[in-house]
Amino acid sequence: MLRYRETGELHKDFHGSTSLALDFVAGRHGEEALTEILHNVGTRVYASIHQKLLQDDPSELIEHLAYFYNREEADFDLEVTEHEITLRVHQCPAIAHIRKLGLPLSPRFCRSTTDVNAALCAGTPWATETQILAEGQCVQRFYRKERKA
Amino acid sequence: MIPSDHFVRFYNEVFKYLDAHGGLEDYFLAISAQQEFHCLEAFRTHGLQGVHDYYVRIRREENCELDLVMEPGCLQLIMTRCPSLGKAIDNDAGVSPRYCDHCPGWVLPVYTKAGLYIIYDLMGHDQPQCHSWILDDIELARQKLREVEQARPAARLLRNF
Repeated sequence: MLRYRETGELHKDFHGSTSLALDFVAGRHGEEALTEILHNVGTRVYASIHQKLLQDDPSELIEHLAYFYNREEADFDLEVTEHEITLRVHQCPAIAHIRKLGLPLSPRFCRSTTDVNAALCAGTPWATETQILAEGQCVQRFYRKERKA
Repeated sequence: MIPSDHFVRFYNEVFKYLDAHGGLEDYFLAISAQQEFHCLEAFRTHGLQGVHDYYVRIRREENCELDLVMEPGCLQLIMTRCPSLGKAIDNDAGVSPRYCDHCPGWVLPVYTKAGLYIIYDLMGHDQPQCHSWILDDIELARQKLREVEQARPAARLLRNF
């Protein structure tokens, strides 16, 4: 069950606001400040997902990825096995929206994925890796550490 | 990707960090500069109608409970359920005590650049509601300020004039 499960309309312009926030924080306080904030997002905002992963339960993470990438109308595939979750994003809806608006895209934009994913898994039996294939395209893997391929 | 649904909870963590380490007021100005992209031209060109139309879109996309009252020379924005603060409160990480300040922090400079005048009653940082009056004439704005101060003597009103 999702701790946060919004319904209704979306305000996708917030993706541009995320891009601004990432650059403002890093520019003012350095990359480590951003690391701290994104770690807090992964462990405190998403405490429910993180706590379940600590108990070796990826169910809310899987539901979160499926629900919100669907809500954003992303072009993606989600593959789930007993020991691995693979999210293939063919076109990131956040980056697509920023590009559509013509707003600046932060060079660190994908840290909002990689750092939050890392925080979700921090100290848990799960690990994560993200491969950026091209702008707006990535493969996010979550896997049980002892079963890494 | 941080889902757009969850942006405000990320934003809330940014506010906490900047409030503790410095830079929050400058960040509000950076938000304001970005928001100019979204609404300044409409506000300048269409005045109160431009503000009205912008907030009709925001009401729909952000799922606000927001009443817009348009009268000659004055637009009232009456937020009875702010989803932004609502989400920041409904949040396992807890709400920043400065959360609400971002809103006047960005809108006041934009209204100033658009040649509009605003009186803003935040009505408390822990309640997802606020009330603002936007006017397009300085004398009307001064008159409205007197009325609001009389009607709400305890309110800490913010304004850009």
